[in-house]
Amino acid sequence: MASPAAVRELQRDLENKANDLSKIQKDIAKNHQVRKKYTIQLGENELVLKELELLKEDANVYKLIGPVLVKQDLAEANANVRKRIEYISAELKRLDAIVQDLEEKQNSKREAVLKVQQRMQALQAGKAKA
Amino acid sequence: MVSPRGEVTPFASLFPVDEAHKAVKRVEEKIAEKQKEMDHLKEFIADNNSIINLVSKLPEELHHDIMVPFGKAAFFPGRLIHTNEFVVLLGEGYYAERTSKQTADILKRRGKALDSQVESLKANIKDLKAEASFFDTTASEAAEGLVEIREDYVDEDLGEEHFESAFQGKGESPGLNEKKHMVEEDDEYTRLMARLDELEREELAAENDDESIEDDPVANGALEDGNEQKEQSNTIESDTVNSEHFQNAISGDLLLYQTHSMQRKPQEQEKIEDVTAEALCNKYQSDLSLKDEQNRTGSTIQPLPKAENLSSKSSTHETKRHLHNEKASVLPEGKIEAMSSATQPVHMQSARPPSNSSKTEASQSGFDSSKAFTGSIVERSTDVLTAKSATLPPSDSQSKPSRPVSRFKMQRR
Repeated sequence: MASPAAVRELQRDLENKANDLSKIQKDIAKNHQVRKKYTIQLGENELVLKELELLKEDANVYKLIGPVLVKQDLAEANANVRKRIEYISAELKRLDAIVQDLEEKQNSKREAVLKVQQRMQALQAGKAKA
Repeated sequence: MVSPRGEVTPFASLFPVDEAHKAVKRVEEKIAEKQKEMDHLKEFIADNNSIINLVSKLPEELHHDIMVPFGKAAFFPGRLIHTNEFVVLLGEGYYAERTSKQTADILKRRGKALDSQVESLKANIKDLKAEASFFDTTASEAAEGLVEIREDYVDEDLGEEHFESAFQGKGESPGLNEKKHMVEEDDEYTRLMARLDELEREELAAENDDESIEDDPVANGALEDGNEQKEQSNTIESDTVNSEHFQNAISGDLLLYQTHSMQRKPQEQEKIEDVTAEALCNKYQSDLSLKDEQNRTGSTIQPLPKAENLSSKSSTHETKRHLHNEKASVLPEGKIEAMSSATQPVHMQSARPPSNSSKTEASQSGFDSSKAFTGSIVERSTDVLTAKSATLPPSDSQSKPSRPVSRFKMQRR
């Protein structure tokens, strides 16, 4: 009967799909992590911006570049921080979209896996009956 | 007595014990994580506070003599000057020169941010703990073998409910189920009733020689008044309260049926009876026990329905015969399970029995589902009562609201 072959084929199919699913899940997890990092950075930058705004015009601002504290212009620092914030927000949005995409793929893969499983079960039941 | 089909599901099946335990563990792990984060944050806050103190204290002196750390393991004495100038880390590699007071302000704001973080973490932990405790209880319950029993919400309460709402003008049913059920049943019911109505009318029309009741009784179902009932009750031998509606009408109808040609449409009757009889019997049983409060009406109804049940049952079983015999036939058949003891009363009401179900049906047709069973329940003869007692001891006597209600129900079914 073709059953054993069919069963084997179904099993292989199931494995493939399961692998894909796990890959996707890993991607999603990574994405989540990166997103978390970015979110924290965003928060920090917003804090810095707030403090910078509180500074008087002539206050000295330094930026730590490696082991060196480099004096910076307040305006320049402000602009830099703002740009950083924008960049981080854009990154976050991009990551969000990717995560959505990944989640959808994950769901569809899950359904496919289920279907394959069901077919296998039906086959087994059929074989058992026969 | 006949309880609606129910499913008994042991908690263990719904929430397998080990899975519940696993869930508890998972949640506990998460709680542990959050606790760690919380501790972290608390450390930060403590550090922050100490720095604030230091920063506020330093400017008190022009310079401080200190031991300056030199490399990893050495110090040398030194002096701390410029005691009011601080280069504060703003974040993201940005530093700013600030005075002590300004630094303290910055630090305080940072502290506030930390505090809000701690608060949110605390809320998180609380939720997780609640979840964990829930899982815990479910796990223990499942372990103990607690069982969840689900029963189909048959329309037993429907009539009751209907009755209640109609009666008290309450709009809401005890349960959604009921409502739905009621709706469905209403449709069925109305259909059945309509059918019964027709049949009854035909029957009534057919029988002419019957003296007593006929006229309006059942078919209209508008029986709130005692008139018809009175007449019917007469025939019925009951001490029925006239004001009581349906029941009386029903009994009257039954009587009619019996006296007149019951054979008229035996099949249909039987069919209907068949359909309803079983249901009636079943419902009746269950209803009886339930409905006591609702029905304030007399208790006689109970016996009556019982008898009806009996009759319906017997009729279903031996419809034709019953119809023909009208009386005794019903009794001997006595197959009614619960009603065996009631056979005697059935005897009494023998005239009624076969037609009872049909009659009830007919009367039911008259019974407008929207109309509540307004009043008292027809009190049947004591025999019926005794017969009843066999099946439902508690149910008889007064206020078998269930009775009339159940009757409705039965009929509705």
